[in-house]
Amino acid sequence: MRIDHAPRSGLAFADLSVQTWAMLVAAYRELNARRLFWVALALNVLVILVIAAVGIDEEGISVLGYDLQIPGITSKLFPPADFYKLMIENLGVGIWLAWLSTILALLSTSSMFPDLASGGVDTMLSKPIGRARLFLTTFACGLLFSTLQVLSFSLMAFLLLGIRAGAWEPGVFVAVPLVAALFSYLFCVQAVVGFITRSAVASVIVTLLFWILVFVIDLGESITLFQRTASRIEREMVQARMDTMKGDAGRESAQKLLTEADVRLERWALANDIALGIKTFLPKTSETAQLTRRALAISAGIGQPADGEQEMRVDENGILQRTRANRRRVEAEVRKELDKRTVTWVVGSSLAFEAIVLAVGLVYFRRRDY
Amino acid sequence: MVATAQAPVPPATGALAIELADVTKTYAGKVQALRGVEMHVRRGEIFGLLGPNGAGKSTLVKIMTTIVRATTARGTILGAPVGHRPTLARVGYLPEHHRFPQYLTGRQCVEFFGAMNLLRRAARRARTEEMLEVVGMRAWADRRVGTYSKGMQQRTGLAAALVNDPELVILDEPTDGVDPVGRSEIRDLLLRMRDEGRTVFLNSHLLGEVELVCDRVAIMLKGRVEVQGTLAELTQASRRWRVAFEGAPPASIAGFGRALPLPGGLRHAVELADGELARVQALIDLLRAEGCAIVGVSETRESLEELFLRLVRDVDGRAAAVGAANINNTMREAR
Repeated sequence: MRIDHAPRSGLAFADLSVQTWAMLVAAYRELNARRLFWVALALNVLVILVIAAVGIDEEGISVLGYDLQIPGITSKLFPPADFYKLMIENLGVGIWLAWLSTILALLSTSSMFPDLASGGVDTMLSKPIGRARLFLTTFACGLLFSTLQVLSFSLMAFLLLGIRAGAWEPGVFVAVPLVAALFSYLFCVQAVVGFITRSAVASVIVTLLFWILVFVIDLGESITLFQRTASRIEREMVQARMDTMKGDAGRESAQKLLTEADVRLERWALANDIALGIKTFLPKTSETAQLTRRALAISAGIGQPADGEQEMRVDENGILQRTRANRRRVEAEVRKELDKRTVTWVVGSSLAFEAIVLAVGLVYFRRRDY
Repeated sequence: MVATAQAPVPPATGALAIELADVTKTYAGKVQALRGVEMHVRRGEIFGLLGPNGAGKSTLVKIMTTIVRATTARGTILGAPVGHRPTLARVGYLPEHHRFPQYLTGRQCVEFFGAMNLLRRAARRARTEEMLEVVGMRAWADRRVGTYSKGMQQRTGLAAALVNDPELVILDEPTDGVDPVGRSEIRDLLLRMRDEGRTVFLNSHLLGEVELVCDRVAIMLKGRVEVQGTLAELTQASRRWRVAFEGAPPASIAGFGRALPLPGGLRHAVELADGELARVQALIDLLRAEGCAIVGVSETRESLEELFLRLVRDVDGRAAAVGAANINNTMREAR
């Protein structure tokens, strides 16, 4: 058979979709040929089975039907739907998908760009496909591993919530774009390093080091935010007692504590602003994963019984004593603070980072001869 | 500058599959891989590109297929400017050191490249089956490429290069790693492609292979096309008349040239330049008068290999010719 090659001035959308689909199918076949993909899928099932094995009722918690003697944790405190949502959010998304599965995905896709740079690029560039599209489509193919994993996990989690807790919660599928986005923040680094060095090992090492750096900065921001919030609450507690203090000694002690609280607050606020400033320009992996909590509408108070109003203690001499803010109250305030951060800021600024890294890779890819 | 034996006038642009002029490439580090290549490849012919390592052949092929960007380039590929990406859908290319996706089966691999060449599903599937049959790989089409021998990979590569029914086929060492039977089959395939009206651009180190199938050849040295034309055109200047005779060479033939001894007895031969037919007759008459027996008169000319080696030696010596080194590999290693 002969194919009619009509003269073309450009490529139509239908043409482009033929190539893009072919690359995605080839990427799926590549994943299919890798044992790691199936190992990760099996671990997905295992995580869901572990969550499903845990039950909660008015008596307490049970595992595979055996009651665990944990006082206070019953379905009165945790409605079953919220209990499973918490397990899915913390164990499934927070640990499994956001950490372990992401590492497996990075390992599994580590050779994609080194392979492209060292062998396949000649053949691909001799086809009617632009360099930018080839680079970006290969990148999109790399996201397939993570996307398929989180998609299968979300589907199983959806069924688990419906069957075990009677809550058919479509919000669980929000994890798909969120975890895929989280993976893409890291994969962009791996892709560019892999293409430049042509080494899968180097790309994985650099990406993991980068992830550790991101984690450390995120941890620093969390610590400073916690201390800032604690200092603010302490200051409020002192302020609340100011007018009620009697005698010069009492008022002086309150004024002294207020000054100290101001200094602490100022110091932690500065440290937190710096950490947050640095973090703004980096991908927010932890916060992206935590966005699933919002989608699952898990109450901030669950698992953290609210304490009553806390007051500064006054000793027998009428001197106001420093009383540290209650940890649970601080954590609740921190959570509120974190919830104020918009999805646009969390995901948008991370995607902006990704766009810059990809742009650097793209410039390198386009300018190079092969 | 392009030198041709009889300086033929290039055909009209419409009759050319490849028309290149002033193609230069200077890599980073000021390494000049191409220094003004001019080349004309006619539609429907098999064109061979020859040259020692580092002559710039691979760079030229990669510029034609947009893998390397030229520093300067004028000309057209299938009527479109060099680097026009949509035109690549009408070109088939088999790189020298290709690495096809090892996880795909032969059939999937050929189909994949069909899709990359913008073939729709039905056409892609039909062409894949056809090409697998043509290259003799249908029986192994469902095995993964990673399990193939070098020869099988090369055949699969050929099928992938031809799946889009290309008007121009660019093959870089297509018989590399292929056994003698396979080579013969590939040569037959090249001839069949030409008979179907395709243009075949063959980059090969194997002079004998090029000589067997190519209608026209170009020899590149130090980043330039030194000569191009048909083999007859290129060896025209080397055409000689050889008069072989038996007996001791008489002193009277000194004016015709030196008598060279031939192996196996008392036979000698005198060679005269082309266009000296009258002198050939005179020499024969003289030899017969001197009692020598004429044992043969034949026309001789350089083989492609002799021409190639002479040119390589002529252009600043062999060492200089390869001095530019295998530029792509060097650049890759440097990076």
